[in-house]
Amino acid sequence: MKAEYINPFVQASFSVLEMVLGNRPSQGALAVQPSTFASEQCNVVCGITGQVQGQVIYGMSLMTADKIASTMLGQSIKTFDALAASALGELGNMISGNAMQMLSELGWECDITPPTVMRGSNVKITTIAVPAIVIPLKLEQGDLFITVGLQGRK
Amino acid sequence: MTNINLSFAALTAEDKSVTIGSQPSLVSALTGVQSTLSKKILITDDALFMRVILRNFLVSNGYEIVAEASNGREAVEKYASCKPDLVFMDITMPEMDGIAATRAIKQHDPAANVIMCTAMGQKNMVMEAIQAGAKDFIVKPFNQDRVLESIQKVIG
Ligand SMILES: [Mg+2]
Repeated sequence: MKAEYINPFVQASFSVLEMVLGNRPSQGALAVQPSTFASEQCNVVCGITGQVQGQVIYGMSLMTADKIASTMLGQSIKTFDALAASALGELGNMISGNAMQMLSELGWECDITPPTVMRGSNVKITTIAVPAIVIPLKLEQGDLFITVGLQGRK
Repeated sequence: MTNINLSFAALTAEDKSVTIGSQPSLVSALTGVQSTLSKKILITDDALFMRVILRNFLVSNGYEIVAEASNGREAVEKYASCKPDLVFMDITMPEMDGIAATRAIKQHDPAANVIMCTAMGQKNMVMEAIQAGAKDFIVKPFNQDRVLESIQKVIG
């Protein structure tokens, strides 16, 4: 996977997270994700289509998911319901969408698909683009792992 | 006469139980006045979260939400049945996206007011939205002042 695909997601995640969650994340070292890896407890999956295609997966613990949803809703959530799930889905949608603007400025026109929110550990995820890259972010709400698996359209 | 109607309209906005039903001409005059006071908005977004946030924000600023739609097809149907003054339209949605829905709504009503409110802000997406008939384009996460400015610009 081209390194150029990563930077838009790093930039978009910083600006969107700071605006939506009110705190600036700190970034750990980028790492290569094996093509098949164990999921986090909560995952938001966004599909990317167009001149660059694949998936972007926003993974976090259940506790982090609760805290992020609580921050977005302005009140602490009692149960992780449809509203909380849609808040996380929309967070993934906003980071992915903002990244599309930067990918477009680099010359790749792409679109995103509606996000899917999955909860449950022990799920094995296989990305099509190999290798995928993980962007680890630390937030006040906990750790967020953004796995970017993209490839140019053949 | 206009002054009397306006004061009644203000009253009914405060207290729906005010009896005005005995004077049909006054009632119809009031409905006319009220519709200019509170603009009717249709919110379209597949994310429940975004619909709730937008609804709360718009209602607290004096707008009336006449309907919500969770995809483009629903938006087209609800536009026809609710005749809103303004539509907030997401782009990335299942079944029918916001660009296709905007085209369908404009075909049905060329005067329709649609503001795109989407996570994607690339130039070609903005151009597609404007070509489809959207009157403004807001990128999420949105700034509240930007949303109010946009509504002012589009429906005054
Ligand atoms: Mg959407």
